[in-house]
Amino acid sequence: MSAALRTRAVRDLAVVIVLVFGVGSIAMLLAHVSPLVGFSALFDGAFGTRSELAETLVQTTNLLFPALGIAVAFRAGLFNIGAEGQLILGGFAAGWLGAQLPLPGYLAVPMVLLAGTLAGGAWGAIPGFLRARFGANEVIATLMLNVVAFLLATYLVNGPLQQGGGGASETAALPKAAQLPNLIPDSQLTWAFVLALVLAVALRWVLARTVFGYELRAAGDAPEAAKRAGIDLGRTAFVAMAISGAFAGLGGATIVAGGLHRFNTGLSQGIGFIAIAVALVGNLHPLWIVVAAFAFGVLQSGAIAMQVDAGVPKDVVSLVIGLVIIALAGRRIVASRRST
Amino acid sequence: MNATLATILAILGLTLVKATPLIYAALGGVLSERSGVVNIGLEGILIAGAFTAVVVSGATGSPLLGALAGIVAGMLLAAILAFAATRLGVDQIVAGTGVNIAALAAAAFGLVLVYHQPGASHEVPAFGRSGETVLIVLAFVAAAALHFVLWRTPWGLRVRACGEDPSAAEAAGIDALRTRFWAVVIGGAIASLGGVYLSLAELDLYSDGMTAGRGFIALAAVIFGRWTPLGATGAALFFGFFAALQYSLQRAGVPTELMQALPYLAALVALAGFAGRVRAPASDGVPYVRP
Repeated sequence: MSAALRTRAVRDLAVVIVLVFGVGSIAMLLAHVSPLVGFSALFDGAFGTRSELAETLVQTTNLLFPALGIAVAFRAGLFNIGAEGQLILGGFAAGWLGAQLPLPGYLAVPMVLLAGTLAGGAWGAIPGFLRARFGANEVIATLMLNVVAFLLATYLVNGPLQQGGGGASETAALPKAAQLPNLIPDSQLTWAFVLALVLAVALRWVLARTVFGYELRAAGDAPEAAKRAGIDLGRTAFVAMAISGAFAGLGGATIVAGGLHRFNTGLSQGIGFIAIAVALVGNLHPLWIVVAAFAFGVLQSGAIAMQVDAGVPKDVVSLVIGLVIIALAGRRIVASRRST
Repeated sequence: MNATLATILAILGLTLVKATPLIYAALGGVLSERSGVVNIGLEGILIAGAFTAVVVSGATGSPLLGALAGIVAGMLLAAILAFAATRLGVDQIVAGTGVNIAALAAAAFGLVLVYHQPGASHEVPAFGRSGETVLIVLAFVAAAALHFVLWRTPWGLRVRACGEDPSAAEAAGIDALRTRFWAVVIGGAIASLGGVYLSLAELDLYSDGMTAGRGFIALAAVIFGRWTPLGATGAALFFGFFAALQYSLQRAGVPTELMQALPYLAALVALAGFAGRVRAPASDGVPYVRP
């Protein structure tokens, strides 16, 4: 990693720490809670026991998949705001297929994850195609497709693909064979965590060391020069968006096959948006993103404990995350994204 | 026959009710984007307007003061985005996403602080029927006014110049950063009225998630309306009409979700150029940095 990137990463980390503890403390004081009490409840809730630590790692995993995908798109100069929708549809495909596949475990789990990856990838490819073919702005397209994805999954799970007939907005439960095996017994932490870490390392390698990674970064950093060097910007946009969506879709599938063991429409709760903050704090660099995902995982996992034990509304955490996004959007992420 | 007429009138009335907050938000979006700033934060501005209006109306007993406070809150939130977009040259879209997340969380937190309960506020003094009518009419007046301002006044020309080519605008002596800043802030004021309408005219309280993605539908209306005040108003009415029809069509067997997805699908179709030539202001979303 270059020295400039390292300096920037350290500075961003400082901004995050100031916002978390500064804004967090002010909010806690407003709620008549001593920041000392509030933050110890938060960190105790994230690290206190083995199962709480496991939950923190679950949250880390859930953020890591979409954040890696967002980084792929952002590095290619495309603002994929649609991770939320891609994740939901990936989760839906995984849940729907997983509930009815009579396959043994060594096949069922890969099939379920593959279904999520493909569904998320397809949903990401739509704005990629619209961008490559018609020059449609991918930001607005992904934003719109987020809502459409949620409505589509809701419709399917309540209507034509309703399973079990219970009337609830969820699929039937996944059979044991289709569930991801646990990493730590009696927790929701599964092998998805390891998969996410492996993918982060793999993505780092692809971006830094392969021709494809080079073309992707060139398209993002200097589109004009890339075009003159013979890189097909339209194709790069399409592929980058599909990969980006695939990461988010896989993330949705691991939530379904890991902790929930079924799809329901409340699967995501904004993970796809928080992942934007994770990707930005991680400087769009896969390995830094792992660190950032852990930091946000701590916040997410400790938020409930902070609310229950210290009486600070957990919304404070979302408030801080929103401010982090505003603050870090200031960095020049992509040189230009207009010249296709 | 009279029953049919009554049904039609009821649906048209409901169309106005559903369209009004969309019109305000879309007009705010048009002004902002005409100056070159994509305002993804419209949803957050609606939330800020709706929440602040309720708190101040409850505290003072005056919905009018509440509405004014709601407008100020919308302007402040827009000012944060505008400052970031013009002076810091940040990516507007990412920052706007942050604005939405922060506003939703701040309102949820504020509910606990002010009303000591999560989820929803108490009922507060609201505008009632006559006030609602005034706000509906005002939305159309605002659309006509914005059309006039953008195409018939020097300031409107400057705003549009900044949205097309800020460098050229600066060369002609226009302060592009300042013009963009005020376009976004005034846009925030207009959009926040949509929030005020939701919490003090259609209802008399604030509840979490009450804006229900209207800020995003408004963005769709801006695109479908081709970045013009009158077009965006028409698009908002079109989307409002389908929202009003939702219950009747649901009885006829059309899935609710399909009806709800319509604005977004319409925007996608417009965006891809299937519905004729659609062109955003040339420098829409591109930060301007002085050389």
